[in-house]
Amino acid sequence: MNVTNKLAAVGRLPLLAVVMFMGACAGPGYGPIVQELSVTARVSERLSPTGQNDTGVAQPVVAPASAVVPKLQPQVQTPAVTITAQPQTSQIQAANVVQVQPVEQVKPAAILSASAITAVVLPASDQRVVEQLLAEADQLKAKGKVTQAVIQLQRAQRIAPREPKVYARLAALQLSLGEASRAEQLALKGLTLVPQQNNYQYYFWKLIAASRSHLGDVSGESKAISEAAKYK
Amino acid sequence: MVYLDAQIRHRFEGHRWSLPAKVYARPLELFTGQQLAHGQLNYELKQLGYRWVNQAKAPGQVQKTATGIAIYSRGFRFADGDQASRLAQVNIANDKVQALRQLNGQSIAVLRLEPQLVGGIYPAHNEDRELIQLDDLPNGFIETLLAVEDRQYYQHYGVSPWGIARAMWANLKAGAIVQGGSTLTQQLVKNFYLTDQQTLWRKLVEAPMALLLNLHYSKDEVLEVYLNEVFVGQAGKRAIHGFGLASRFYFGQPVSELRLHQVALLVGLVKGPSYYNPQRHPKRAKQRRNLVLSVLAQQGLISESQKQQYQALPLDLSTAQKVSRYPAYMDVVRQQLQQHYPASALSSHGLRIFTSLDPWIQHQSDLAMRGQVKQLQKQHEGLESLQGALVVSQRDSGELLALVGDKDGGYAGHNWALDKTRQVGSLLKPVVHLSALESGRYHLMSAVDDAPIAVPQADGSVWKPQNYDLTSHGVVPMYQALAKSYNQANVRLGLDVGVKRVVSQLYQLGAEGNIPAYPSVLLGAVEMSPLNVNQVYQTIAGNGFYSPLTLVRQVTEANGVLLSHFPYAVRQAASNESVYLLQQEMRKVATAGTARGVYRYLPKQQQVAAKTGTTNDQRDSWFSGFSGQYVATTWLGREDAKPTPLTGASGALKVWGELMKNLAYTPYQDIKPQSVDYYYLNPKTGKAMPSRCADGVWLPIQKPLAPVATKQCGY
Repeated sequence: MNVTNKLAAVGRLPLLAVVMFMGACAGPGYGPIVQELSVTARVSERLSPTGQNDTGVAQPVVAPASAVVPKLQPQVQTPAVTITAQPQTSQIQAANVVQVQPVEQVKPAAILSASAITAVVLPASDQRVVEQLLAEADQLKAKGKVTQAVIQLQRAQRIAPREPKVYARLAALQLSLGEASRAEQLALKGLTLVPQQNNYQYYFWKLIAASRSHLGDVSGESKAISEAAKYK
Repeated sequence: MVYLDAQIRHRFEGHRWSLPAKVYARPLELFTGQQLAHGQLNYELKQLGYRWVNQAKAPGQVQKTATGIAIYSRGFRFADGDQASRLAQVNIANDKVQALRQLNGQSIAVLRLEPQLVGGIYPAHNEDRELIQLDDLPNGFIETLLAVEDRQYYQHYGVSPWGIARAMWANLKAGAIVQGGSTLTQQLVKNFYLTDQQTLWRKLVEAPMALLLNLHYSKDEVLEVYLNEVFVGQAGKRAIHGFGLASRFYFGQPVSELRLHQVALLVGLVKGPSYYNPQRHPKRAKQRRNLVLSVLAQQGLISESQKQQYQALPLDLSTAQKVSRYPAYMDVVRQQLQQHYPASALSSHGLRIFTSLDPWIQHQSDLAMRGQVKQLQKQHEGLESLQGALVVSQRDSGELLALVGDKDGGYAGHNWALDKTRQVGSLLKPVVHLSALESGRYHLMSAVDDAPIAVPQADGSVWKPQNYDLTSHGVVPMYQALAKSYNQANVRLGLDVGVKRVVSQLYQLGAEGNIPAYPSVLLGAVEMSPLNVNQVYQTIAGNGFYSPLTLVRQVTEANGVLLSHFPYAVRQAASNESVYLLQQEMRKVATAGTARGVYRYLPKQQQVAAKTGTTNDQRDSWFSGFSGQYVATTWLGREDAKPTPLTGASGALKVWGELMKNLAYTPYQDIKPQSVDYYYLNPKTGKAMPSRCADGVWLPIQKPLAPVATKQCGY
């Protein structure tokens, strides 16, 4: 453990300690049995899905300085759950954890841009289980249960981690949620799985173009559009 | 009296118990075409407490069939909804699921078994329980309980005058309080409201409180609370409360599946959980159980022949490994959760934590580490303090599947997988190669000079890295420099690309901590934890897309309401083309380089990409790499970081190979980018030759760097 990292850990300790203290007081007076604060802080950097920049998973981080101190982005939203009601909790919320909201809010503009792509027909997966899980995800999404849909898609991804259709659905869903940066990266990964498949190349590049448009990345968008055109 | 009344109502109607969070492993999903490891299915069914029967008729049962097995799964409430219990025929051949059908022959796309409960996050007083309702009890349970503990339960007013008289008589005789309350209601009052001390005050208020309890609540309500409160055992520091958890703990089954001889044992335990502890005193426990069965027969609840049948049965205790067998993994779960939930919520609200822990892989990881360390200690002197760590993740999702934190998986002390950082040595060379490929100036056949090199340092000294065999190998193709792990060639390569660039690439791949851009970094003079190393290799395995290692999938409330989930996210860390080329290089390391020892463990056709790592004076022995489905990193070294006789290949490789051998084999899916082509190359000249020539090597080369072709062999 090097110095900078230690500092980062120490810097976060008081907050963490306060939260835990609050937590311990709020309950019926029981503390957890295993706890070592310094370890907690260090592990939080390693394992939390937070080693990322502001946009979640977007542009490469180059400067060592920024990589050394992963930012814990408070996704500030008071969770709609009594258990996490302490306001302090949200401050240590990692950027990548999605607290489930009672009402899933979907941005209409993003849906439009995503739906233009979903018109593309993608070949069926050769695994029946994957098709079934994707169908379940589609149904859940249609019912507005977007989180449950994402969970089903991730289930499909674990069963068929190299199935491009899963990435296509995951990316489209993220875009429809307005998570354009996340969608773009998922589509880029999808591209690496389908070098020979024109319909997928077209689909992913269109989705990347839509994501970049959403992000205001004009030159990136036009590059993606011209890539997509090659596979039309 | 008013005070007592208020106390009774408050506790009974409020938040009755603080329920520990339950931590679940990943559920096993069965689907057509799925490859299982040999022995995996049996192991997982055993861990889940399934019972082998001649004909599966109820949840929790499994039977052999002509073509495989029939599983009657249990229903389970997952984070994404309820999974109904169902009977499925699973055809299996060569450990592969060939077909999955319902009884009527209709095929099933996927059968998701319930996940194994692998641990809990307990409050300070260490009480654990699994709530049950009266409806969950199997036939005969209540009857047995009442027959033994309180025959008049449904008739009395909470206290039984006869019982009190009997207790008083016993106490008078002894000259002290030796006998407690006799009714279930009184027992509940004693455990639920009053301290364990046998004081007179407690004795005085116990009866009135029992009366009050009886007055306010129905018999069934009181009984249900009793069923969940009763103390039935101790597992280390953990107190087992209630018949729901007791059933899991002793039999590995939900209480609803218990048969009468098991019910009799649980009920018999109430009298003295430690005296009759079936694990420690099986004879005593069996006697007690058979006594309970006799009582049932005496009261006419079962026939004499039934009694004899049940008495002849074994205790049928679970043979599965007990919970909390995964300390290193649970450590990280706890630590990750504490970022999102206050400690009190975790130890008292009965949250359900769904993790990606793979019980089979964790089991195999523990075995591989323990077995190989033992063997190495036998083979070499001075390895008493040898320690080890092992991290396994899924190749594309980045989910942590298993974690071994020390040499015997028992973990009493440091978690070497994440708490400790050590120099990583040659494990960093792939990053040097990736940086070179990303520069666009190198391809796998590029000539790299392995001549001795001296690098002036900032402090005025001169750094002269040497090869492991202390010889120089002249000009070698780049892929050879990696396969043979030549230090001098790799330093030259790294210096040409630029140390800063290499360090920046390392961060891109997910390395953490402060890594100064000194030339020695090129040979791995960087301290990292095994977990962090695995993250870096995960990114390489994931086609250059970084996805953070995660282990909590979802968190729900006790009733199943979803609280949070961790969405899959990636970030591109290097171009697909460069990563593909690097993966091919690392495949060569395994087939013809320092990692070729893995094929002592794996079949030839199984493709893996890997790298060995050995640090100065052999203080650390590393191995990291990936197969079609898994990324795994192993580290071995002495606790005091003194030299060992082990290299990466003679130490950590063995643990890695032993583990991979026992995991399900999934083909390694290579996806060649359009921007590279394969050539048959002469390693000496780098020219493309006809495939009839001898001693050539097939390698992918970037299109713009296409090699010169020759029609003659040897040129």
